[in-house]
Amino acid sequence: MGRALTLIPILALGLAVGVYTLAVVRDDPATSFAGSSNGGAVALLAAGWALVGAGTLLLSRRGAGRVGFLLAAAGFAWFLLEWGNPQIGSALAFTIGLSLYAACAPLVSHALLAYPRGRLARRTEQAAVTVAYTGGVLVLGVLPALFWSPSTAGCNDCPRNLLLLADKVTLADDLRRVGVYLGLGWSLLLAGLLVIRLVEATNRGRRASSLLLTAGAAYLGLVAATFAGSLDRGFLWHGPLERRLWLGEAAALVAVGAAVAWTRLRARRARSQVAGLVVELARSPTPDGLRAVLAGIVGDAELLLGYPIGDAGALVDAEGRSVDVSSRPAQTSLVSDGQVVAVLAHAAGLLDDEQLVDEVAAAARLALENERLQADVRVRLEELRASRARIVAAGDAERKRLERDLHDGAQQRLVALALSLRLLRSQTSQRVDGEAGRFLDRADAELGDAITELRELSYGIFPAVLADGGLAPAVQALAEGARVPIEVGPMSEARPPPAIEIAAYAVVIEAARVARRGIAVHAARREGAFVVEIGSRDTAPLDLVALEDRVGALDGRVAVEHGDNGGVTIRAEFPCGP
Amino acid sequence: MRAVIADDEALLREGLARLLADAGVDVVGDAGNADGLLRLVERARPDVAIVDIKMPPTHTDEGLIAAQEIRSTHPEVGVLVLSHYLESHYAMRLLEEHPQRSGYLLKERVKDVSVLVDALERIGEGECVLDPTIVARLVGRPREQSPLDELTAREREVLALIAEGHSNDGICRKLFLSPKTVETHVRHILLKLGIGETQDYHRRVLAVLAYLRS
Repeated sequence: MGRALTLIPILALGLAVGVYTLAVVRDDPATSFAGSSNGGAVALLAAGWALVGAGTLLLSRRGAGRVGFLLAAAGFAWFLLEWGNPQIGSALAFTIGLSLYAACAPLVSHALLAYPRGRLARRTEQAAVTVAYTGGVLVLGVLPALFWSPSTAGCNDCPRNLLLLADKVTLADDLRRVGVYLGLGWSLLLAGLLVIRLVEATNRGRRASSLLLTAGAAYLGLVAATFAGSLDRGFLWHGPLERRLWLGEAAALVAVGAAVAWTRLRARRARSQVAGLVVELARSPTPDGLRAVLAGIVGDAELLLGYPIGDAGALVDAEGRSVDVSSRPAQTSLVSDGQVVAVLAHAAGLLDDEQLVDEVAAAARLALENERLQADVRVRLEELRASRARIVAAGDAERKRLERDLHDGAQQRLVALALSLRLLRSQTSQRVDGEAGRFLDRADAELGDAITELRELSYGIFPAVLADGGLAPAVQALAEGARVPIEVGPMSEARPPPAIEIAAYAVVIEAARVARRGIAVHAARREGAFVVEIGSRDTAPLDLVALEDRVGALDGRVAVEHGDNGGVTIRAEFPCGP
Repeated sequence: MRAVIADDEALLREGLARLLADAGVDVVGDAGNADGLLRLVERARPDVAIVDIKMPPTHTDEGLIAAQEIRSTHPEVGVLVLSHYLESHYAMRLLEEHPQRSGYLLKERVKDVSVLVDALERIGEGECVLDPTIVARLVGRPREQSPLDELTAREREVLALIAEGHSNDGICRKLFLSPKTVETHVRHILLKLGIGETQDYHRRVLAVLAYLRS
C-alpha cells in the first residue's frame, strides 16, 4: 500500500506533462510531430502515458523497479521531443526539450534489454546502451545546446536557451550532424540486439517476452529509419515522412506498454490463484499437496516438485522420497530470499516467464517452506528408521554368528571330546574299575549335559531353523519345545525378507514366553504387508515396548486387541512388497 | 557292513571310524565335505553313509542335501545323518522324501556305539531311524486336549517306538512283548489317534510323525 502511494505523484506528473505537451503542440502544430490532427494527439498521449503507466506498474513490483523507472523515464522523454517548440514559452521547458528530445529511444532499449531484472547481462548490450545514451543525450542534445543560440539561428520567437555557453551555431550544427550519423548506428545496433533477444525468447516459447521485444525492435527500427531520413539534413525535423514514422513509433510504444501490463496482470492473476489454492490447501490438505496445485496452475499434470534437502542439494518430494527432476525437459527453481525453496520440473516453455515464476514463489512461499520442512522431517525420520533397522540387523547378524560359532566350535569340540572319552574307555575297558570308572562315567554324563545345555543356549541366541526354513518351521520347532501348547496355524508360503521373519519370530517368542494357557500363531501376506497374528487365551502382560522397538525398526506396527472371551490378539504388521 | 563317514572334523572322523571298527563295522572311507562324500559313495558303494549335517562351505545343511542326493542316485546306499539340531524340521526334510534306508540321529550319539550300530543295521535292513530324543519331544510336547491323553503308558511307549522307525518285530524285541500283543497295541493306538491302518511300514511311520507334529 505504501509503495502504491508513492507512485501516485509519478502518475499525476505523467498526466500533467502529457496534457502540457498537448497544449504546446496545439499552440504551434506546424513545428511539432503530433501536428493538429486528433490522431496525432491520441498518438502523443497514448504512447507517453502507456510508457509511464507500464513503468509505474513495474515500479510497484519488487525486483523490477529499475526497469519500471527506465520505462517511466522513457515516457517523459517521449513528451520532451515536442518541447523544442519555439512557442513553448518557458525557457526552462525549452532548454529541457533542446537537450533531451532524443532520450526516449536509448531509455526504451535500455529498459527492454534489461527486462525484467533491471541489469544488462551482456557486454555488447551494455556497450550499445552506453553509446546510445552518449549519442542521443550528449551528442544530439546537451552538447549542441551549449553552443546553439536561438537568435543567431534565426528563431526570434524562441525562449532563451539556459544552457548556452558560447554562441557557435556552426559547431552546434556539426555536433547534431554527427549525432544523427551516430543515431543511425546505435539505433540499428539496438534494434539488432532486440531482434536477437526476440529470437531467443521465441525459441524458448516465451510468449509475453516475444510480444514485448517485437514491439521494442519495431520502435527502434522506426527510430533508425528517422535517423536515416535525416542524414542529408543533419538534424531531426518534423517533415511529412518523419511524422508518419513518429506515428508508427507511437503505436510501437503503446504495444510495449500493453505487453508489460499484460505480463504483469497475468503474473498477478497467477499469484492470486496460487495464493487462493494454497489457502484452500491449508484448509483441506490433499495427499498430493502443493504439487497438484502447482501442476494445475502451470498446466502440466506431470509436473514434479522437489525440495532441496541438506547441503548436498538432493531433491525429495513432500513424502521425503527422492525426486529425479532431470526426467522432465525443463527445470525451474523457486527462489525466496536468495534461497532455492523448491525446484519444479515441467514441460518445456511453461515457466519461462520469470515474473510468473517469482509470483508463484512469492504466493506459495510459506506453503512451500512448510512442505519442504515436512519433507525434511520425513527424510530425517526415514534416516533414523533406517539407522534403527541397521542396528537391529547388526544385532541379529551378531547373534547368528555367535550361534554358528557355538555350533561349529564348542559343540563340535564337546562331541569330539565325548567320542575321545569313549575311545579311552574302550581301549582300557578291561582295567578301568572302581573310582577311575566312576570318574569316567561322571565325565561322560557331564559332557552329555554340557552338549544339551549348549544346544539350548545356541538355539536361544538364534534359531538356525528360522534362517534355514523360515517362520513356519521355526514356530513348529518352538511348539516342540514349548511350556504351553502352541498351535501352528496357516503360515504364508512365500517367505518375507529375513529381517521381517526375525522380528515376527521375536513377537511369537515373547507371546509364548508370557502365555500361561497356550497360543495360536498364523501369518499371512496381505495388501503389501506381512502380518503375524497370535491369539492368546490369557492376558499376561507383554514387553510391548521391546516389541514395538523391534517391529518399529522395520516400519511395522504391533497392536494388542482384547477379545470378548478374555483373550488377546497380538498383531504385528510389517510393510512388505507384494 | 560297509560304511563311509563324512564330517569336516578330522578328529571326529578318525575316532568314529575306530569305534565302529571295534564294533565290527567296516569303514571303507571318509570325506571332509559333501562333494568328497558323493565321489566316495560313487567309488566305494558302501551299505550306508554316515553324514554330518553341517559341512563346508556354508555349514548349514550341506550334509542333508548330500544325503538326499545319495538316496536319489544310489537307492541301495543308506544314509545316517548326524545333526546338532533337535528340531524335527530337519529330520522331516530327509525322512519325508526318502523314508527307506534313511536315519537322523543327534550328533552326540556317536559315543553310544550300540545305538549307532543298531541304527546302521536297521538302515541296512531298509528301515528308517529317528532319534529317540526328537521323538520324545514330539510325543511330550504340550497339547490342548488330545487323543494322546487317552493312550496308556505302554501304548505311548509303543507309539514312540513306531515314530522312531521300529518295525513290529523291533518293538517286540525292545519291550519283550509277543508279536500278537504288539499288533494289538499298534491297532489300538492307530484307532485312538484316528490314523488309518496301513500295512506299509514306512507309510505308518510318516503318518504317526505327521500326527505328532501337527
